[in-house]
Amino acid sequence: MLSVHEITTAYQGLVAISAVSIEVAKGEIVCVAGANGAGKSTLLKSIAGAERPRSGTISFDGARIDGKPQHMITAGGIAFVPENRRLFPRLSVRDNLRLGSYLYRSEANRDEPLDLVFKLFPRLSERLEQRAETLSGGEQQMLAIGRALMTRPRLLMLDEPSQGIMPKLVDEIFQAVKRIRDTGLTVLIVEQRMAECLEIADRAYILQTGRVLMKGPAAEISTNPDVRKAYLGL
Amino acid sequence: MTAETIIQSLASGLLMGLLYGLIAVGLALIFGLMDVVNFAHGEFLMIAMYATFFLFAFFAIDPLLSAPLVAAALFVFGAVVYLLIVRFAVRAKANAGMVQIFSTFGLAIVMRGLAQFFFTPDYRSVTNSWLGGKTISVGGIFLPEPQLVGALVSIAAFAGLYFFIHRTDFGRALEATREDAGAVALVGIDKNRVFALGWGLGAALVGLAGAIMAIFFYVYPDVGASFALIAYVTVALGGFGSVFGAFAGGIIVGLVEATTALILPPSLKSVGIYAVYLLVVFVRPRGLFGSM
Repeated sequence: MLSVHEITTAYQGLVAISAVSIEVAKGEIVCVAGANGAGKSTLLKSIAGAERPRSGTISFDGARIDGKPQHMITAGGIAFVPENRRLFPRLSVRDNLRLGSYLYRSEANRDEPLDLVFKLFPRLSERLEQRAETLSGGEQQMLAIGRALMTRPRLLMLDEPSQGIMPKLVDEIFQAVKRIRDTGLTVLIVEQRMAECLEIADRAYILQTGRVLMKGPAAEISTNPDVRKAYLGL
Repeated sequence: MTAETIIQSLASGLLMGLLYGLIAVGLALIFGLMDVVNFAHGEFLMIAMYATFFLFAFFAIDPLLSAPLVAAALFVFGAVVYLLIVRFAVRAKANAGMVQIFSTFGLAIVMRGLAQFFFTPDYRSVTNSWLGGKTISVGGIFLPEPQLVGALVSIAAFAGLYFFIHRTDFGRALEATREDAGAVALVGIDKNRVFALGWGLGAALVGLAGAIMAIFFYVYPDVGASFALIAYVTVALGGFGSVFGAFAGGIIVGLVEATTALILPPSLKSVGIYAVYLLVVFVRPRGLFGSM
């Protein structure tokens, strides 16, 4: 479904990822793990069109998407929830969700994914009139995922969904990701919390200083002795 | 000074203030949307007034009828200014603030120069329009009809704008872009399109004001300058970027101007506005209705 081939992305001459290749198949949860500064966020931003790779190709469902403007990539079926969530802080929860279905504004059933969003995150339905900025960190993450689902993506990309969230809610978010996949979506998730991420993922990549260090089925990676020592602290 | 003179002045001030609000709102809209001050705002007003004048002079279309046409033409003009100039100015890698200022300031000078060249510096006026020179008496107070209609148009325009921003999808996209222009692509919105439509809308509103102003004000290449200055004060007073602050700011400016004219000699009528402006800047720098 998603095929990233040897992309290199640099910021002001500084190479953040170098010749990174990853594959994501339909219906998978793929986890990209690695330490801070490994280039995980840059990888997602490059796929989403928020950063332009210097070289390499990215294809989604057989069509090249690298170099396309970001809003076109969203419209093409890839929803991106960035690290800092980028909600519209002074707009209500309702308006944030409604903006998610902006692409379908002329359709009668534009808010169709809303059922799923409320099923996953019932507390959002209780806070519809609240401004997004008044939500807790966990609720903001839920809203960001909810807004992304409203764009009706085929691929959902999450950048560090556990960041800045109290531990109890982290689990709730990861369980929601599993349920999202069960509805037929494909998920690419970037995390520093490798243990939780590997638990829900089918396959995983480990990035280190901008390169793919290791890849394989999540179960294999989580039992790899080197990974356990270096990343899982076991 | 009788009570009647005071009421008379305040009523005229209120009408003029509503027009000031209409002139200023486009400026506030664009600033709120992308933090860019359009220094050619007065020249947008100027070309709208010329357009109204020429439509009247050559085709005998009354300003009341040409106002929607002029607003539509200004909409296109504003969007084109964004797409051809501002879009590139905001991308400047170095000194972005200066580049933005000088790009719209340069545009203002070019527009004024072209107007002087093609339209000559002569003062023109729309004579014998439907409303020109007419007044209406309301309970002993005489109100000039062009200003009265201008005030009503302004109120209608603000009501329309309010509805548009709060009740339509595009309005919501506009609000979202104001909040975080870098995030709208996450929901599939092209921010350049929103910016272009924002410039179009801002220009259309000042175009509407220009069409009404042409009924009772001389049209000449520099006409925008004094009104633009008032518009900047209005926007700063109301709160930078606040669309409805511009509405309230306009009314305050109109009333203060009228009050000053009652107390001070006519040549000092602008003193009051700038005094209030300075006071607000010192006491509440974000403006009366600014939220930042």
